[in-house]
Amino acid sequence: MIFIALRQLWARKRQTFLTLLGVMMGAAAYIIISGILLGFREYLVDQMVNNDSHVRISAKARLVEENSFDHIFADKNETLFWLIPPSGRKDSQKIDNVQEWVQRLREDTDVEAFAPQLAITVIYRKGKVAQNGRITGIVPAQQTRVSLIEKYVLKGTLRELADNGQKIMVGEGLRENLGLRYGDSITVVTGRGENQQFKVYGSFQTGNRAIDDNLSYISLTTAQNISGTPGQISDIVVRLKDVKNSLRKSEEWSNDESAKVQSWEQSNASILDVFQVQDMTRYMMSAIILIVAAFGIYNILSIVISQKKREIAILRSIGFESNDILTIFMTQGMLLGVAGGLLGVALGYLISVRLSHITFSSPMIKAKSTSMMVSFNYVIYVYGFLMAVFSTTVASFLPALKAGKLSPIDIIRGME
Amino acid sequence: MSIRVENVIKSFGDPPVQIIKNVSFDLVDGEFVALTGKSGSGKSTLLYMVSSLDNPTSGKITLQNQDIASMKTGDLHRFRNKHMGFIFQYHYLLPEFTALENVLMPAIKAGTVSQKRPEAIELLKRFDLGNRMESLPSQLSGGESQRVAIARALIMNPQYIFADEPTGSLDSANALNVMQIFREINESTGCAIIYVTHDEDFAAMAQKQIQLVDGKISAIKTSKKTIRKNSRPA
Repeated sequence: MIFIALRQLWARKRQTFLTLLGVMMGAAAYIIISGILLGFREYLVDQMVNNDSHVRISAKARLVEENSFDHIFADKNETLFWLIPPSGRKDSQKIDNVQEWVQRLREDTDVEAFAPQLAITVIYRKGKVAQNGRITGIVPAQQTRVSLIEKYVLKGTLRELADNGQKIMVGEGLRENLGLRYGDSITVVTGRGENQQFKVYGSFQTGNRAIDDNLSYISLTTAQNISGTPGQISDIVVRLKDVKNSLRKSEEWSNDESAKVQSWEQSNASILDVFQVQDMTRYMMSAIILIVAAFGIYNILSIVISQKKREIAILRSIGFESNDILTIFMTQGMLLGVAGGLLGVALGYLISVRLSHITFSSPMIKAKSTSMMVSFNYVIYVYGFLMAVFSTTVASFLPALKAGKLSPIDIIRGME
Repeated sequence: MSIRVENVIKSFGDPPVQIIKNVSFDLVDGEFVALTGKSGSGKSTLLYMVSSLDNPTSGKITLQNQDIASMKTGDLHRFRNKHMGFIFQYHYLLPEFTALENVLMPAIKAGTVSQKRPEAIELLKRFDLGNRMESLPSQLSGGESQRVAIARALIMNPQYIFADEPTGSLDSANALNVMQIFREINESTGCAIIYVTHDEDFAAMAQKQIQLVDGKISAIKTSKKTIRKNSRPA
């Protein structure tokens, strides 16, 4: 049967070529679109996972309520009545039971490393130029075990922060915006209104402008000093041995009411939601392309079958069964699917390789490597190929089934 | 008896119109039989029922003492493949395949291509197509194509050949050639040939003529000339 199917495909070269082209383009389009979208996604996820932390334990934003001071200003058996009840957020956000957390994280076998942080909101000032931003106080030796921040350092080393002087490592965007040169001084205005002088000794660039234009690192002790909260921390960032456990661990640790525990997935839920929409768009686009290719096969096979009724009649009369006819036409469709799928995979790969060498710039992402991020995950290629084969198999089945059901005598009578 | 047709009726349409009306006859192995009659007399319909391609509305057709209606589909296909050959008015060769490949088509189904290849070449040579074996149907004349179709019908050494107006699309010289081939095959192999024709001369070449008028047998004529009946080769 394969011999007959192949010969018939070969005999109508133009149709075969055009159908093959359709399937090939469909599979290649899927691979290219998926490669670009997933490449971009892998980059973002990599940033989310490696540049920050797998799980972040942070202080809960606590509000002052009417009864918050009941046992502070009055005895237990007395009740306070306020003319103007207190309201608003407590002035500092800190993790209360740090030691308990440290103990807990040390004992947890899933934890690879953890590091304390103190986040402060500040205003940077250089001459007349001012900009608001954030400062994170870190313990460099611990921080570098949790995130990959060190690989984004352009000048200086994080270890120098451990000297506890008034040294600051600024985001490259921030450095450019304020016109700072290495060795320059920068004034940092804290929430308490105090001016602190820092020496810019280094800079970093993660590629994410939201970080590079706003964030600076100083040592944890310095941060505690300038914010007037010695010994306090606002966050503990945790790196797990297996990133896949992030959500499970964050849910497990969330039973502690004293702090807010979020995995990287929870922190970036809105971006991950966008990925789902992206996935849907990707699948729909690919489905549309492959449906068009499948319709091509359906139409061509239907036309071929109606043209070949005489041959089908003679084949049936010389002993070919209904299933044999079905097999001949199914084989043709599937061969086109397999060949088109393989060619599509090859074409998709070649175009993806070419794309990955194209440089680009985006206002959102400014990575050090400016080449396009294309994923070469083998799953994309397997899916692309399987989608091509599946769609052509389905598209061939209906005309082939119809051909198989043709009765030789009906064909002969129709021709009389 | 080789083929027995008993009280066969074939109706078409709604309300049903009888095309074949209560027809009965017997055909013996190795007979050379012509089904004759005017256009619309039902001769092709009768041929297709006798050859198992169509089913009667009522009545019974037995092939080698087997009721066709009770045969399993797979068995019927195998029987057709190994014991029957079909020739139509038009050759119906597969256009993508060479003359030789077309002849071997029934052997492809049976899975006996390599065994049958020398035989197919012999058949084509016998029909003066020795130099046309690798030609496609589009490169063959009408007479050549019909001879390829006859070779295809013969490749499995069938017991029966059914031909529906095999000379209908041929000029008189080619038509006569085809009829002579039929007779030669019948005489040399003992294969029963049942053919439909409305040409009186070609009908007269048959050993037995079954004449149909409006779906009924009006006459069965047997040739006075004794035709040697060879037994089928083993």
